[in-house]
Order: sequence, then structure tokens, then C-alpha cells
Amino acid sequence: MIRARHGLLLLAPLTLVLVAFFLLPVLMMLPTSFREYVPGAGLAPGVWTLENYTRIVTDDYYREVIWRTLGLGLFVTLACLLLGYPIAYLVARGPERWRVPLILLVVFPMMLNLVVRSFGWIALLANHGLVNNLLIQLGLIATPVKLMFNMTGLMIGLTHIYLPFMVLMLVAAIRNVPRDVEAAAATLGSSRLHVFGSVTLPLSMPGILAGSILVFVLTISALVTPRMLGGPTYKVMATLIYDEYMQLLDWPSGSALAFALTLMAIGVIWLSSRLTKRWAGMA
Amino acid sequence: MSSLTFDRLGKAYGDIDVVKDVSLTIKEGEFVSLLGPSGCGKTTILRMVAGLAEPSQGRILIGEENVTALPPNKRGLGLVFQSYALFPHLTVFENVAFGLRRRKVAGDELPRRVKEALALVRLDAYGERYPRQLSGGQQQRVAIARALAPHPRVLLFDEPLSNLDAQLRDEMQIELKRLQRGLGITTLFVTHDQGEALSMSDRVCVMAKGVMQQFATPEEIYHRPATGFVASFIGKPNRLTGTVATRDGAGGSVRLGAGPILLVAHVDRPESSPVDIVIRQEAIRLRAIGLQAIGLRGGTAEVGAPPGALDGTIALRSFSGARVQYVVRLAGGIELVAEAPSSGPESMLAIGSPVSLTIDPGAVFAMGPDGASA
Amino acid sequence: MNGAADSDARPGWAVITAALAVIVFLQVPVIVVVLAAFSTTSYLTIPPQGLTLAWFGKVLSDPTYLAAIRMSLILACGSTVISLALGVAAAYALYRKALPGAEAITAFLMAPLILPAVVISVALLQYYSLTGLRGSLFGLLMAHVVITVPYIVRSSLASLSGLDLAVEEAARVLGASGLDAFRLVTLPLIQPGLVAGALFAFITSFDNVPVTIFLIGADQTTLPVLMFSSVEMGIDPSVAAVSTLLIVVTGIILLIAERRAGFHRFV
Repeated sequence: MIRARHGLLLLAPLTLVLVAFFLLPVLMMLPTSFREYVPGAGLAPGVWTLENYTRIVTDDYYREVIWRTLGLGLFVTLACLLLGYPIAYLVARGPERWRVPLILLVVFPMMLNLVVRSFGWIALLANHGLVNNLLIQLGLIATPVKLMFNMTGLMIGLTHIYLPFMVLMLVAAIRNVPRDVEAAAATLGSSRLHVFGSVTLPLSMPGILAGSILVFVLTISALVTPRMLGGPTYKVMATLIYDEYMQLLDWPSGSALAFALTLMAIGVIWLSSRLTKRWAGMA
Repeated sequence: MSSLTFDRLGKAYGDIDVVKDVSLTIKEGEFVSLLGPSGCGKTTILRMVAGLAEPSQGRILIGEENVTALPPNKRGLGLVFQSYALFPHLTVFENVAFGLRRRKVAGDELPRRVKEALALVRLDAYGERYPRQLSGGQQQRVAIARALAPHPRVLLFDEPLSNLDAQLRDEMQIELKRLQRGLGITTLFVTHDQGEALSMSDRVCVMAKGVMQQFATPEEIYHRPATGFVASFIGKPNRLTGTVATRDGAGGSVRLGAGPILLVAHVDRPESSPVDIVIRQEAIRLRAIGLQAIGLRGGTAEVGAPPGALDGTIALRSFSGARVQYVVRLAGGIELVAEAPSSGPESMLAIGSPVSLTIDPGAVFAMGPDGASA
Repeated sequence: MNGAADSDARPGWAVITAALAVIVFLQVPVIVVVLAAFSTTSYLTIPPQGLTLAWFGKVLSDPTYLAAIRMSLILACGSTVISLALGVAAAYALYRKALPGAEAITAFLMAPLILPAVVISVALLQYYSLTGLRGSLFGLLMAHVVITVPYIVRSSLASLSGLDLAVEEAARVLGASGLDAFRLVTLPLIQPGLVAGALFAFITSFDNVPVTIFLIGADQTTLPVLMFSSVEMGIDPSVAAVSTLLIVVTGIILLIAERRAGFHRFV
């Protein structure tokens, strides 16, 4: 028996901290997104406008950045799924003694500083980077191929960074598939491939969805890697918000973009929970 | 040692009464079981006694002391949990010492008291082990030693034997009873197993839907159930429906469905009112009729059914070691389960054999269909 | 025949090859960074042209780097300790169902994980500018608490949910006060999960760029922010040297955590 008074006492400190340093700041940003920014002067006093939001949908440059961000999210998610499933399957269904070393090899890069990892990719993908040097040495190309400051670089870097998250989600999902059901399908005459396609894959679908949502949301929110591999010109939403705030000092526009990004992230999460519920209903 | 008293004890969650107005006193040194199906409120009562749940009304007294508002650590009780709830990160010794340390027992006395408690449950040699290194029965005994070590005023058990296999359960029943007798400790034992309750207790309190049905000795509970619920919960009942056929003083007779008529010792429903009827399997005497060997004189003789008996035929036989169970079909399609000792003459009746059933009117209970006693 | 039936469920060679190739892909940038740190040239070539420890010496004698490391440690330690205290208390209240609406409260406590970090940062940037907290250590600490505390809450809830409540009740009935029961029984039992959660929180705070970079004052640069800015200026092998140090430290921490607490069970 623990009384409500004690519960309140235990919950209050964290709740207050999160209200003061999370909820309140985010809510206070809302009015800012409806203000007008005057370059050099700051907020125009007494002026309220929807323009910061309408510009996101009408302005060609903003639209390009948004589509690029979403496309990146989609590509990276698919790449993580394709690359991650074999590892996850090996961890979940492979020899017992491989499991821990494999998990540690997946977790190690995940624990590693983002800047370090992005730096590694710069060293690989730059014009004078390892990959280009190697290709030139092998005589496959004459001049360096552009691997950074474009979609290719961002995709490679972000896939590398979020792949471990996907693998861990998939491992949990595959381990949740009862081996008895797989065995049952096999005794009923299914080939190994057919067991995978008709039992393992469908039953791990909720985990696949959860992992995909996680990677998608992380990708569209990413700041550091896109900044380092995309440079100051090839922008995604997070780096755009960074520049609006830190370079242009246009807080109204930046906050509207921040809410747009939030909406996209929460929208995707909401949509997936709807999907999951529908699947649960079918089962 | 102290007595334990519930005074109009009640517990409600929202609008639902889990325990309603229970009053009783467990005497010093007495072993009392709280018996009932799951959800009857017995565990809630135990948790209220331990201070792990707060009563909505009423008082709990240990001896003369009102402990209703005390936190669990101030009540001086011992509690053995269904899951044992041993501390997995502590050795057996430290598990048993835990309560002693909280009572500031220190110095030489601490190991002495721990050893004493472990000796009671014959686990003296296991002090350095961890709970996970023990068998289920040994863990159970550590839990008992841990509860006993601080010399609690009252010992509480929450279905302690339900996680043991059948053989170990029987052994532990005897061991527990011997231990409780030896220490003379006031004990409240919560169980859903009537065999456990009847065999171990001085008195049994039968609960149903939060209401105390009967608080009496095991013999009384079995032979003179106070309510229809107790009658149908205790023993191995045949549950049937019928109507009151005749009234004769306190007793009378009932008609089983559209079938035979049966004498009943107690009925308080008017004639021709519908009743639920409970007949204990073990109270039905079964006899083969028809051609029977008469032994030394040679020859055979027709043996008829005794007067007042019911006629039927064997529909199914199942052997279960010491006893044989039969499903007997009576007139009107009524079926009863009856037993016979597997060593007796009635142990080998074939399906289709005619039999006669004699039923002790005192083991037939008729009650209104709403479950009220009849 | 037993073997044949058994092997049906095992991954085939194609799967193993693909998986190992991806594992290698995951380690490539790490290896490259380490090689770059020992290389005499600022551009990495294979094989490296000459080996040197000069970059390490340069970093470890550079007061800017040392100050940044110190700042990062202060922030990571401080926010982890605060998050542990706040997060474990809250998770415990949720576990004991002391209050109604536990699900909604949990969702609120986990919300900083769902919102993009950059959004939390700009919100705090404006908030701190208005309240004068910008550039203060306290403000920075609280920002790190906001982004680390969900990990503590999550790992605490996971550890607590595996616990038999009766064990703590047993301690209470045996005479332990509520605080004693928590301290002597519950806390030791959830400790492995808490260590894993604290490690996650520490690393999250220590590595953080997106939140820190918006909020730091002039003399508050943290190590990852310093590295981030250095790379923006152009490739510099001393970044590779710092990175290598971080790789080694992270690897050691991971191995210790695995040895001591079976870390892989908590990820």
C-alpha cells in the first residue's frame, strides 16, 4: 500500500522539471511562430500572421527541403530494414554463442559519439577521402566522384547511424515469433524460405513497423550528421531550423518550421499506432 | 501470542464490496483457515491484517491492541506469501535475519535466533545458500523460518502450499500443523483448498463474495453447513435441480427433476417450490442388485433393493486408485456420481449393471435457486 | 534426421554472409577514424603514409580541448545524477500505481524522446533568452536532464515491472519502514537495470550536440560541440585523435557494462 500522497511526492519533482523545462518552453514557442520577423530589428510589435506557416507550403525552397527530408527518411528506413534484417535474424536465430558478440558489435557504433561517426564518413566520402582515393588508385575513375554534400552522403551516413536501432527492434520482434509455430509450418511441408515468408516475416511485422517508425522519426529529426555530411548548403529540416535560429535569427520562421517538423514526427507515430491497432484487431 | 479480532471489517473498491462486514475472533494459539473460491475476499482480509491494504470500515485487533491504522512494519506479524517472496539477493541466513535486524536484534543473539528458526524447519545447514539454489519445498521452509524468526504475535499464510506438487503438499500440511501446535502460535491460513482447510484447522471460516458464510469447526462445516454455498462448496457435490415434494417437520422429500423422490433431513421451502439440490458423492451408498452369489450355501438368490433406495444403472466407471467412481443413471435421465472403495465388492460393476443407491438424508441439501439455504 | 529438422530454423549461409558484411559496414568509419589519428598526413590513404602519435599530444596539451572535456564530464555526471534521482522516484510511484492516470503520466515523461531534439533546443533557446538562463550552467544541466531522464524512467519501469511486489511487502511485514524496504530490497534488485539506464543517460548527455550547441555560452563549449565546430572549419587530424580516445573509452565502458551487468540484455 502506498498512498496517493506519497505517490504525488515522488512524481512531483520530475513532473515540475519537465513542465518548467520542456512543456512550457515548447508552448511559449507557439505564439512566436505567429509573429512577423523584421530583418535586423527582430519581432514586429503587435503583428500576428499565419505567413510563417503558409510559406512552408508555398515557398519552393522550403518545399524542396521538406520533400528532401521526407525522402531521406523513407530511403534511410528502407535501407536500415534491408541491411538490418539479416543481422537481426542471425542474432535471434543463429548460434547462441554468437549472440552477445554480435549484439555488442551492433551496439558499439550506436554508443559512439555522433560527431565521431560522421567524421569517419567525411574521411571516407570527401573529395580527397579514402573511397575516392582508392577508386582513383585502382584506375576506376579519373576525377573524384561527389559523395558528400548531396543525397548520397546523407543516406550513407544516416543509414549507418540508425541501423543499430533498427537491428535491436528487429531482434526483439523476431525473438517474439514462437519457434513452435515455425516448426509447425516446417512439419506441414513448408520449405525454409516459405516458413520465413509465411510465418516469421508476418509475425515480426509489428516489430518491423515499430523499428521503421523509430528510424524514420530519428532521420527526419537529425541535425548533426546532415550538417556535417551535407554542409551548410545541402539542407534538411533540422539544419534549416538551425540556420533560421543561429544564422538568420528569424525565430518566427524557425519556430513554425519546428512545429511543422514536430507535426510530421507525431503524425507518423500516430499513424503507425492506428495501423498496429488495426493489425491487433485482425489477429 | 495474541488473539486476532475482526470487528465489522469491510473493504470496498469503488462501488464493489470485496469484503463485507466480517466479525470474528481467532483465539490465542488457534489455527483458523479462511476458505473460499478465488475472489471471495479471503486474500483481501489477510492483506488488511498485514497492513498491506487499508480497510474501508471496521477494526482489526491483535490482542487488545487496535492495529487498524498501523503500517505493516509496526504490527509484529509473520506472513508467508504464496510466491514465498524470498529476497533473491540475500542468503538464506540474511533472509531469516532480515526481520530480526529490523527489530534491532544484534550481537550473538542474531545468529542464535536465525539458527533456531532454521532448525525449526530443518534447514540449519543451508544458511549460506541463495534462494535460487534451493528447491521449491526448501524455499517454502525458508519463508516460514523468516516469518517465525522475529517471534510474531500472529502468523499469516497466503495459499502457501499452492505452488508445491501434490506429494510435497501433503507432507508440508503435516509439518506445518506440527510446527504450529509446537509453538502454539495464533495462525490465519488463507486457502481455496478445502482439504487443506479441513485437515489443518481448529476452525474454518468459509467466505463467498466477501461475506462470511460460516465460522465453525471442520466437522460442523462438513456435516452441518450453515448456508447453501457451504453445502455445495464442501465435499464432492452432485449438483441437481428439483422441487420440494413433501414436508414433514423440519425435513421432507424432494423430487429430482422429473425423476425419483429423495428424503431430505432439512427443508424450509414450501411444497412444490423449485430448489437446487446438493448430494455429496461420498454419502451415496451403492449396491449391486440382481443375481448375487450367496457364498457357502451355494446357489443363488434374488436380492432386491432395500426400502427407500433409488434404482439405477451404471453409465460410466472410472478407477482412481483407492476409490472407484461411477456415473449412475436414474429414472428420468438423472445422473449422479457415486463412489465405492476399490477393494470392496462394488468395485467391479460393469457398465449397464443395475444398482441401488441409498442416500443419507443428512447429506442431501436442498436450497432455493437463489442459493439461500433451505 | 534430427539434425536436418533442427537446421531448418537456422540462418543459411546467405544470411550469415549478408549479416557479417553489414557488421563490417558498421565498423568501417570507426576503423577509418582510428587510422586517421595515427596518420602523419591530414588526408587518409591506404596504406597510411607514416605513423605518428603527434595528434594525441597536440590534443592532450590543448587547453581548449581539456576545458571542453571537463565541461562535458560536468554536464554528463550532473545530469545523470539528477535524472536518476528524479526518474527513479517517478518510475517507482508509477510502478506502485499510487496515482490514477499512470499511462498518461508515463507518456508525458517519455515525451522528450518523441519530440525532435532540435525542437526542444530552439524552444529552450527562446525560453532561456527570456528568463536570463541562457549561458548558465543550471539551464544547460536542466536541458540535459530533459533529454536524459526518459532513458532512466524507461529502464527503471522495465526493471520494476519484473519485480514481485510481494518481495517488498515481505520486507514491510518483517518490520522495515517504506524507505528501508526500498533501500534494502527493491533498489538492489533493480540495480542492473538502473546501471544500464544511467549509462545510456550519461552517454546521451556526453555526446549531445543538437541541444547543447543552441544553449551554451562562450566558455561552455563541450567536447562534441568543439569537435563539430572544428570539422565545420575543415578536416583536422586532432579531431581524429580525440575521436579515437572516445572510441577506446566507449569500448571499455561497454565491455565493463557487459561484464558487470550483462548490458546486452538492456538495449
